[in-house]
Amino acid sequence: MRRHDVVVVGAGLAGQRAALAAAQAGRDVAIVSKLHPLRSHSGAAQGGINAAVGAEDSVDTHIYDTVKGSDYLGDQDAIEFFCREAGSIVVEMEHFGTIFSRGADGSLARRAFGGAGFPRTIYAADRTGLALLQAIYEHLGTETITVYEEWDLVQLIVRDGRAQGIVAFDRKHGTFEEIAARAIVIATGPAGRVYSRTTNAHSCTGDGLAIAYRAGAWLKDMEFVQFHPTALLESGILITEGARGEGGILKNVNGDRFMTKYAPHVMDLASRDVVSRAITTEIAEGRGFPGEYVHLELMHLGKEKIESRLQEICDFSRNFAGVDPVNEPIPVRPGQHYMMGGISTNIRGETSIAGLYSAGEAACVSIHGANRLGGNSLLETLVFGKQAGIAAAEYALTAALPSITADDLSAAERPVRAMQAKKDGVEPLALRSEIQSVMDRWVGIYRNPADLGKAWDALADLRRRSSELRIIDQTSSYSVNLGEALETQHILDLAEVIVAGAIARTESRGAHARVDFPKRDDANWMKHTIAAFRPEGPQLSYAPVAYTRWDPKERVY
Amino acid sequence: MVETVHATFQVYRFTPGVDSSPRYVSYEFDLPPHTPVLSALLKIRQEIDPTLAMRYSCRSSICGSCAMVINSKSRLACQTQIGPELARHGRIVIDPMRNQPVARDLIVDQKPFWHDYERIDPHLIADPAHPMPEGQPNPMTPEQVDRFYETPRCIACGACYSACPAKEADPEFPGPMALAKLYRFVVDPRDGATRERLLKIQPGGLWTCLRCHLCTAACPKDVRPSERIRDLKELAIAAQGVTEAGSRHAVAFKENIYERGLLNEGKLARQTLGLAGTAAQLPQAMRILRKKPELLKSPPKIEGLAEVRKIYEMLEDEERSG
Repeated sequence: MRRHDVVVVGAGLAGQRAALAAAQAGRDVAIVSKLHPLRSHSGAAQGGINAAVGAEDSVDTHIYDTVKGSDYLGDQDAIEFFCREAGSIVVEMEHFGTIFSRGADGSLARRAFGGAGFPRTIYAADRTGLALLQAIYEHLGTETITVYEEWDLVQLIVRDGRAQGIVAFDRKHGTFEEIAARAIVIATGPAGRVYSRTTNAHSCTGDGLAIAYRAGAWLKDMEFVQFHPTALLESGILITEGARGEGGILKNVNGDRFMTKYAPHVMDLASRDVVSRAITTEIAEGRGFPGEYVHLELMHLGKEKIESRLQEICDFSRNFAGVDPVNEPIPVRPGQHYMMGGISTNIRGETSIAGLYSAGEAACVSIHGANRLGGNSLLETLVFGKQAGIAAAEYALTAALPSITADDLSAAERPVRAMQAKKDGVEPLALRSEIQSVMDRWVGIYRNPADLGKAWDALADLRRRSSELRIIDQTSSYSVNLGEALETQHILDLAEVIVAGAIARTESRGAHARVDFPKRDDANWMKHTIAAFRPEGPQLSYAPVAYTRWDPKERVY
Repeated sequence: MVETVHATFQVYRFTPGVDSSPRYVSYEFDLPPHTPVLSALLKIRQEIDPTLAMRYSCRSSICGSCAMVINSKSRLACQTQIGPELARHGRIVIDPMRNQPVARDLIVDQKPFWHDYERIDPHLIADPAHPMPEGQPNPMTPEQVDRFYETPRCIACGACYSACPAKEADPEFPGPMALAKLYRFVVDPRDGATRERLLKIQPGGLWTCLRCHLCTAACPKDVRPSERIRDLKELAIAAQGVTEAGSRHAVAFKENIYERGLLNEGKLARQTLGLAGTAAQLPQAMRILRKKPELLKSPPKIEGLAEVRKIYEMLEDEERSG
């Protein structure tokens, strides 16, 4: 049987940073990932990574901006730790070889981002995630780490109150494999594909979240789903906030710069939830373009600035929307972008299960609270990936040998083989599309109880039909169909948790906007939603928000 | 009503060990002309045949998963729209990438590609003479940054590797992506092994490039691997002098053309391989000479030689002025 001290599931920035930390601590480390590490969705992050460095900026301002951006749902102790780590984490990545954009004096260049009191977003053109992902992968190559590439996580083995190992599906060979581990880090990224209107990759199906949830780990704050204001029309491809940071502006069908109305001070650079709601309101009130979108204008920035600082955006607009941002506006509308919620952890990445850790977008510490600021997610992957790796390595040092058995393997394999044995049934991609349209229609930016109720009922119906899921592909090698069946089950689980949390939370906070409760309700709702798996559906409870120095105030941008 | 076009796809299907030989399966749809090939393939998977095996993830040309051969060109399925393909070819023929064994359908085994990438030691190697500044980023001048600022655009999709005829002819050649990546480390002011990297890559590596630029044409991210390989050749000569058959050939080529405007094949061989090396090539040379005896004679100077030399002068001026 395969056995490692630390198994990291997911090979984006958080997973690789965790693996690096655990390997540097001297543990035997393996990475399990359904994609080659360089194909991870971290590489799609564009705008930048926040760090308050230099005399003009201050860590306290970064902390305050993050607390305010979170709409006072972020844990202030965690946010303080997070912002203090930022400078050294970024320097470390520069030393690993990241090719950042630079100022004329050779220092790391910084740009303005939404909700930030200072231009503190360090960047690499508009491919910051890609530049960081390459650098960490290159650096990780200097350590000895086993990589199980193109392996899907299928099951987490929890016994005697402790994580003991995993069962995974080896796509290439079509076999189920078990790996025993003294400690496990889940860093499988988001579940954006709960929606179809999303900036996320097709592979972002929340595998680790759903599997950890089923294995007994708590999920936190899953109803808080960030919609990025500027996703490209049709394809939903992300157009970075950096485009507005560089001076881009939003306009409606009348040519009005409508953000002057919604955020008179910072306008287009208000926090993402604010801008997304503004665009949605403009469209709902008839001031969108036919086809329901608004314009993002960059033309006034000039060809040189656009092509050097927003190179990928130029390519995306030209290739995927047939629009040249140098000469014409980019058609955009909000799209699902980020999940503030995730597997509940503390700042060491510890979950509710001993030996199980989590970091990155799969996790919820929580530092983003009800709304994440741009530039904070790349930082989160590295800061908390490192912490989770350190903590998992420490745990593995003293943890007893894990116990997993052949029964664990067959218990994980049996239901999948049963789907393969069915003569007819429901196609995974068809069921996935139905889940996505439920979420697109009824669980979007503005939420009302009637729609949420419809979503809940529709998901219950889809849950029943999911028992008929069928895998047509019988070939052992590279059954993409089999992977999609697993993923479809994951997004169904997570959609239920999102809707349950959204129905229960009768207030509006950050990204969760209830039309029937338009105000934030600190007396009753300044608390985290905790969801635990029960066969009959998610069981909700609540946990307090950690509070240090910042009293809740009304958010004005 | 969105305008649509009738699209015929012919998709390569093959499961080694199961199918006796590859086959093409046709699928037909009416689709809007700006539909990406990837979306059409996903439609096939969702509506007709979920067993079609392919890699895909980001659908925005940033993850590098969906490189394949579309109407004979190596490219990303997500970045290729069906309209122009249909206008030019009448149909869309889709094959797996080349220079890598087929694992199933459109999925290739990328092990050789990643192996070649590993060969260039793809990580910063510390420079003991210039340790990293503690707690601070390394300073860099804008000129230093400019030399490799765009290199992270490479998404390691493998399109260049698939398009490369030198890779096809010589398995030892690391291919365009690995060399473009090598360039990134060679010019990085933080790297301490510039010279060692250049010495290591020369035998059997750098000079095998045919300068056909098919890699640059295939690259979906404008990384221009062939230009980076050219840069590496210049850096290699600067670091080591003209010591390799490959660099001697390049210099001899340059001298030949300057002298006469035409290549003197016999002289070129002697300059590249030396006398002993040329002697070893004699059997092959004799075969060629039987067919083309005129190669034995030195070619005459061409008519417009003065203008050819002017080009040399212009290029040298340009180099001097940077």
